[in-house]
Amino acid sequence: MSSFLKIAIRNLLKGPSTDTYPYGETFVPKGLRGKIKYNAKACVACRMCEHVCAGGAIQIREVSDKSGLEFILWHNTCAFCGLCEHYCPTKAIRLTEDYHTAHRQEDKYRYVEKGFIKYVPCASCGTPMVPTAPELLNVAYDNVNKDIERLSKLCSKCRKEKVCG
Amino acid sequence: MKKLLQKIAKKSPWLYRINAGSCNGCDVELATTACIPRYDVERLGCKYCGSPKHADIVLITGPLTARVKEKVLRLYDEIPDPKVTVAIGVCPISGGVFRDSYAITGPIDNFIPVDVNVPGCPPRPQAIIDGIVEAIKIWETRL
Repeated sequence: MSSFLKIAIRNLLKGPSTDTYPYGETFVPKGLRGKIKYNAKACVACRMCEHVCAGGAIQIREVSDKSGLEFILWHNTCAFCGLCEHYCPTKAIRLTEDYHTAHRQEDKYRYVEKGFIKYVPCASCGTPMVPTAPELLNVAYDNVNKDIERLSKLCSKCRKEKVCG
Repeated sequence: MKKLLQKIAKKSPWLYRINAGSCNGCDVELATTACIPRYDVERLGCKYCGSPKHADIVLITGPLTARVKEKVLRLYDEIPDPKVTVAIGVCPISGGVFRDSYAITGPIDNFIPVDVNVPGCPPRPQAIIDGIVEAIKIWETRL
């Protein structure tokens, strides 16, 4: 009996445990896997995210005028598993803590995260290529010097010729 | 009398849950949203009901499997108009990870007019509350 009273008094002092959401603020646990944010500047178009995506939500394809690559992620088939973030070598793709996913039916096919990677010409031969992100160089090399930076501006063919002769 | 009823009904839409072959993840989140005092969906005037004949807002989970399709459609027809449909989780919206499977006949909006989508696998209780708030807004315009 006394233990019951203790709990009852404690609950009275603590007040209601109900979250005030949607009228007020709510808590977000750290590391919540919410909507995805994509950074086209850091992306090297390795297509690993497209390969590992469980829901098939990610698509990377060349635009019709062949000026670059388009990244499309449809949140309505994304399982928020976080595999894309885990496998992304440059961390260009990130899961935010934004969980506000409710939307009306007319926005169903507009509920996407988009990005565009513009091709840059190779410094030597001018072939359009995906720009090498500095994030990738930082992953591959301990210290990035001038030589490496110069090589990163070449396409794979010219780079091979320059390095191997 | 009818006007009075309409005024009252606006404030108290009843929820009805249909499981169209869901893995139960979203159903657990729906139960959490309603039964745990922390989220307590009844603050919004909503209440889960057991019969489709009492329902105003329909919450559908699951990718509409081939086996359950006829039953879901029959159940949906039993719900009186006007009604608002909310798709909970990625499965009813697009098929999610089960998309293109031989056992799936969805996405659900091929058969049922959906009004609000709440993607997630499963969505957070707060996201479900967001979806229900959106559905209540639509419900008020339909009465």
